[in-house]
Amino acid sequence: MLSRRAFLKTASAVALVPGGIRSLLSWASDSSISIPGKDGLIVRSYRFLDLETPVEFMTDWITPVNHFYVRNHMLAPAEVDAASWKLTITGEVRKPLTLTLADLAKSPIHHVTNTLECAGNGRSLQSPKVPGIQWGKGAVGNARFSGPSMKFLLEKAGLKDSAKHVQFRGLDGVPGNVPAFVRSIPVEKALDGDTLVATHMNGAPISIHHGYPARAITPGWVGAASCKWLTEITVLDKPAEGNFMSPGYRFPNTPGRPGEPVKPENTHSLTALTVKSLVAAPSDGAKLNAGPHTIQGVAWAGEADVIKVEISTDGGDKWNPAELGRDHAKYAWRLWKYAWRPTKSGSHVILSRATDSQGRVQPEAAVWNPSGYLYNAYDQVRVYVQV
Amino acid sequence: MFKFSRFDPLAKPVIALCGLLLFGAIAVFSQSSPEEQLPAGAAKEKAEDTCLVCHEARIIVQQRLDKAAWTKEVDKMVRWGADVDPKDRDALIDYLSTNFSPDQPAYEAPRTKADSTEKLKSKH
Repeated sequence: MLSRRAFLKTASAVALVPGGIRSLLSWASDSSISIPGKDGLIVRSYRFLDLETPVEFMTDWITPVNHFYVRNHMLAPAEVDAASWKLTITGEVRKPLTLTLADLAKSPIHHVTNTLECAGNGRSLQSPKVPGIQWGKGAVGNARFSGPSMKFLLEKAGLKDSAKHVQFRGLDGVPGNVPAFVRSIPVEKALDGDTLVATHMNGAPISIHHGYPARAITPGWVGAASCKWLTEITVLDKPAEGNFMSPGYRFPNTPGRPGEPVKPENTHSLTALTVKSLVAAPSDGAKLNAGPHTIQGVAWAGEADVIKVEISTDGGDKWNPAELGRDHAKYAWRLWKYAWRPTKSGSHVILSRATDSQGRVQPEAAVWNPSGYLYNAYDQVRVYVQV
Repeated sequence: MFKFSRFDPLAKPVIALCGLLLFGAIAVFSQSSPEEQLPAGAAKEKAEDTCLVCHEARIIVQQRLDKAAWTKEVDKMVRWGADVDPKDRDALIDYLSTNFSPDQPAYEAPRTKADSTEKLKSKH
């Protein structure tokens, strides 16, 4: 009998055969990994798949799908048959529904440009270190999602007065006794008109990496609220239970000391994203001449609007306003840029910080928490200038 | 169509060569796996048998955790179905906390190929 290890080695060798010897040999020669439809992304995990967008790609308002990060908690379905795919709406509803993809296509289609960010983005920057996928800065992207609004579908099913939370479940493959990836959002958010059952991303049918044939999009909220490969919507009279509601995806009510445990009763479930900016260019470690140079990047604030981005080129002593890009939509990030002509040679630390319409300012230090969620300290890159 | 007869003197060497090529190809495939490998150590095989059933080694090798944090992770994974013999638990925790401790340099993650989408487009 094969040991598990021998089985895995054999299985991985066999699984690779259809990929073709050419791609295998080219992988061996340049050490990058071939994932069709995903170009130049950082591989945080291959099985299951977690891919990060390098910050230097964040110069477009809409992130192309081939550059959009991927976060899978578990195994993505190998394939989904669109013809037999169904979405059920059950629970605290008057008329349970079973919908096909054709039913969704016949519904009024709503479009939302949404910045989707994994709650754990920036986890690797937390100190002390915490367990989980060690995301750098790029588990975030901005895309145009389209599909019927959750409001339209839930009203079709008819919510009972007892309806309080809306639970999502998808086709993720769950190994062992790992709890299923099941979470819920409050019914008010599900009914806000912008929360979607999205079938399209940037104008094309959503790809398997992003939840084909349909996913929830809960705009402005942490990515975990936007269940992929959606098949079950269950309306509940209370929040969903299970690992991914508690202890998963919870944040301290008040900041504690870094490294100290947080009591479960002093936490709340993550909802909307916080205020944050990133520097896309110049790259960390870049060598620059006298310029002028364009410092540029992105800034977002979940359900709030970014109203200001400031840049410091002297490590935080002086801050100057950046120019915000013209492209603008609720839930979508803003591009920003700042013209810089360095006057001194040497090492310079460039910092960025955003301010939003709720008065939140990106802080110098993020709130440390045991799962490394919502990291949003000033972004910084160090550059070396020769004038 | 060209066929070997049972008594063809070339048959055995050619079949042997084919077998060798197949073996070589499988060896290349095995070495070329996009999955990360665990480093050598006393409990490496136990870690492979226990952890890699559900996820790849890269999820382990990117962590930088102290022994207390690794203990919590191992115990969580046991609750989630990892098949750890109680007599192997301490050795497994030692292996993980020795190789993937906070004082180790950061893991350098690879990237996906830069041009797969262009190749996909050119096929259609």
